[in-house]
Order: sequence, then structure tokens, then C-alpha cells
Amino acid sequence: MTGDPGAVTPQSPRPVAASAAIEIEDLWHTYMRGTPFEHPALRGVTLHVHDGEVVGIIGQTGSGKSTLIQYFNGLMRPIRGRVIVAGHDLGSPRADVAAVRRAVGLAFQEPETQVFERLVGDDVAYGPRRLRLPFHEIRERVRWAMEIMGLPFETFKDRYTFTLSGGELRKAALAGVLALRPRVLVLDEPTSGLDPRSRDDLRARIEELRDREGMTVVLVSHDMEEVVRLSDRVYVLHDGAVAASGSPREVFGDAARLAAAGLAPPEAAQVVQRLRDRGYPVREALTLEEAETALAALLERTR
Amino acid sequence: MSEFELLRNITIGQYLPTGSYLHRLDPRPKIIAALLLTAAVSFAPTILGNACLLAACALVVRLGRIPFGYALRGLVPAVPFLVILAVLQLVFYGRNYDPASPVIFQWGWIVVTAAVGRLVVVSAARFVELLMVTSVFTLSTRTTELTLGVESLLRPLRPLRVPAHELALVATIALRFVPTLALEAERLLRAQASRGGSLGGRRWNFVAAARRLLPILVPLFTFALTRAEELIVAMEARAYTGGGGRTTYSVLQGTLRDWLAPAVALIFLIVLLRAPFAF
Repeated sequence: MTGDPGAVTPQSPRPVAASAAIEIEDLWHTYMRGTPFEHPALRGVTLHVHDGEVVGIIGQTGSGKSTLIQYFNGLMRPIRGRVIVAGHDLGSPRADVAAVRRAVGLAFQEPETQVFERLVGDDVAYGPRRLRLPFHEIRERVRWAMEIMGLPFETFKDRYTFTLSGGELRKAALAGVLALRPRVLVLDEPTSGLDPRSRDDLRARIEELRDREGMTVVLVSHDMEEVVRLSDRVYVLHDGAVAASGSPREVFGDAARLAAAGLAPPEAAQVVQRLRDRGYPVREALTLEEAETALAALLERTR
Repeated sequence: MSEFELLRNITIGQYLPTGSYLHRLDPRPKIIAALLLTAAVSFAPTILGNACLLAACALVVRLGRIPFGYALRGLVPAVPFLVILAVLQLVFYGRNYDPASPVIFQWGWIVVTAAVGRLVVVSAARFVELLMVTSVFTLSTRTTELTLGVESLLRPLRPLRVPAHELALVATIALRFVPTLALEAERLLRAQASRGGSLGGRRWNFVAAARRLLPILVPLFTFALTRAEELIVAMEARAYTGGGGRTTYSVLQGTLRDWLAPAVALIFLIVLLRAPFAF
């Protein structure tokens, strides 16, 4: 289950494939270092994100997810461990942090709280303007980012930000990160706190980013359903260390290990698993749709 | 190595439970003792006096079982300003400040008199002392204790229509919000940095520098207002009506042992101000 394709064992250090957008080896982090409040957040995390894949990161509150992703775009620099993002070694003091931030777009939890411009279009354009791009290029990027987030450019660009609904504002904030056209998009709890319809809509947008744009995405989430639906590979963090990794099927198939990390498989998968435990001949399922077909087949057979 | 950990350098408004004598002290005598120490810091004009004060402050930090490095951490961001201040005082005061004082150094138009030299040393020492006193005070006092203490001390002024409870509450909330706002500012700095924003760049261009701050300031204000509104609702929901007829969960009971601290501080203050220090 820990068969990470790019993993490097300490005995035989070999260079990782050049296609890895983010490589993290044995990363440690301590908060409030040098004060009486210091506490460890990461204890030797090793993780890889390859171009074109969607990597899910799950774990309990306080397992180190939000700390970890701050290393992805150089907001934090490693003191112990190795972090290489888009070919830049962030452990080196001469690392080009600006280039790393252009390569990795990071959207924090509740990104709508960072919106500051009066007009939606201006806020989305903040990043590209800071890159000093030519006017038409900025406009094109803003248009592209807003459209892909489901905010039609012409109708929304001149709307006041405070008139948007919570879901729309979140999409506008995410568009602001997308407008930087990053190589990797990192989303921290993108759908938390949204109403069900906005949540489904935003998930569909992320799916579209993956399928149509081939965007590399790192998805941090508490919602197992969402992680199963969107991710190619999943890392489970527990107490600042990687407790498990692999395909969603591998990770969520091992319920005991998940439980040890304080997590549980998606509800649909749990229902099917309990039926199997009681001896019903039902196929394994992870998502709601799979569970539906599996149960339909079961009903067909027992009829 | 993290440019975004603001809270590491903010020691005011934090509470560090070590269970020391200072932590167990009744807040009222503690507030008085802190005020007396602050008065001593403000009025001691001599180098020797300030040396005594530094020693006394170190003793207080020790008494509170607070690590020295942490009590002095607030000094880190202030060091550049202190240095600039000291240089300005040294260079520009010249003979204007206490002309009778003997000149100890002269180079061109730069004149340093003994009085100015003393002033520089004393003002730097004062800063360190004040920082130690306030750090130890806040690190050893819970905000609820502080509110109760201030309120209780202001109670005799109530006939003069001084709203003791409300004043204490305002001060408490202000203190309590310092780390909260710092954390939020930190979060916004990170978020905007992730979108290509930065606070660095040409610092001499004030207009550009102010504009660069907007993406942090605007959401920070919104956050502060939202939090204030939430606080109001939370207080209303718990039927808060102000100080009138309010009882408290913990009742302050100062013993003679508690009043030892301000007594010692008072004696120290008198001795310090009366002592004939040579310089």
C-alpha cells in the first residue's frame, strides 16, 4: 500500500523522475520554534506529485495537511528534509521562490475571505497584474479562469464582490488562483462550508479542470466521497507522518489502517462492506454510483 | 525559516502557564506591583539605577518561571528602531541637551556629552525593562483575571460614574484580539503571497508600498468587523447586560501574601528614587 512509484529509500538515493512536479523527502516541521509553545507538525513526510495527476491528501484535523501544503509553493522553507518543486530546490537559500509560486497555485481554506477588490474581474486579475503581463494577456487569463470556474466573464467581471453568494465568491477566489495558470493547483478544503448545490457544482468544475485541461491538482479534503471521486492517488496523513498511500481503492480498501488514522471510508463503501461482512454476494464499491449498481445487481439476483 | 510566523515574536496577550508565584498572585496586587515597577522604570534617570532595575526585572522574569529568551523575544522586531533612535540621539542632541554636561567625544560637528551618553543608555535600558515587565505580566495573567482585577480596582471610582466593568472589558477584548489579528494577518499574507503579491520591493515609494498593503488591510478590517459582530451576538445570546448586578464565577480573595508583591515593589521604587547614584 505504501508502494509509492517515486519513493526513494534512504539506502539507495536515486534521482526521481523529472516528471515529478513536487517531490518531498523526509520533511519535518515544528511550529513556534524557539518558544515555549513549540509543537511538531510534520515528522518525516515523503510525498510526490507527478504532472497530470490528482493527488488527494486526507487526515484528521491537526494531522499536518495544511502545514504540508505550505511547503508546496515556498511559503515555508525546509529546515530538515528536501523539497523540490518544479525543479527548484527550496532548501537552497538561492531558490527562485517567485518562480515556485508561479508554478504552484495555492488556494487556502475559505479563500473567499482574501477577496479585497470591489469588482470580481479586478480581484481575479490581481495575480496576473502582479506578474506584469500585457493587458490582453491578463484579460484572456481572467476570462479563461472565470469561465472554467463557471462564472461567465461578461456577466460577472463588473459585479461587486459583496453582491456574490458564498459559493460564487469562493469560485471567484479560486479563479484568482487559476488565473496565474499554475502547473499545479493546490486546493485546501475547496468545498467545505458550501451548500450542497454549490459543492456539487464546484466538484464538477474541478473534474473539468482535470479532464479537459489536464491540470495537476492536489486536493486536501475531509470529504472522503470527494477524494474518491476526484483523486488518482491518495496520501493519508496521521500525526504528521504518511500513514498510507496508493490508489483510492487501495487506501480505502484497508479499513483497519484508515481507522487507525482516525478516518473512515465513504459512507456508500461502508454500507456495501457491511453487507459483504454479513455474507451478501455484493461487489466491492467505493463511490455512490458504484454502490448503486452493486446493490441493484444484488437485488436483481435475490429477487 | 518562515517569514510568515508573526506570532513567534508577539509575547503580549499570550498566557504561559507555569504555575509560579506570579501566576498564583491575586490580579489586583499584581496590577499595582506592575504599575509601581513601570513607574520606577519611567522615573529612574541614572545608569546605575537602571542597572538595578534590569536586575530586578530579570528577577521578576525568573520568579514567573518564564524562559528569558521568550520574555525578550518581542525585542527582535524592535532592534532596528532602537538602534536608529540611539544613533539619532547620539548625533543630533549635541550640546542642546543639558549644555553644562562635559563633552566626552567630539568629531567635526558631532558632539557627545556625558548627559547624552547617559540618555542613550537609559532609554535603551528602559525599553528592555518595560518589555520585560509587560511580557511577564501578560504571560502570567489570564485575561479573565485581568478583567476582574481592573474592575475591582476601579470599583471605588463608581460614584464618579466611571464604568469600571465596561472599561475592563474593553481592555480585555483589545488584548485578546492581538494574537487573533496577528494570526489572521499571517493567513492573509500567505494567501496573497500565493497569488503573486508581496510586501517587498521599493520601500521608498510610499504610495506603492501603501497600495501593496491593501490586499492585506482590506480583508483584515472585514475580518475584525465580522469578529466584533460575532462577539456581540455571542454576548447577547448569553444575556450580557453590562456590569450592573453581575456576579462572578471566581471571587478574588487576596491574602496578605498577595500584597507582599506590591509592598516590595513600593519599597524598591522609593529606595531607587532616593538612592544617590553617581551617574
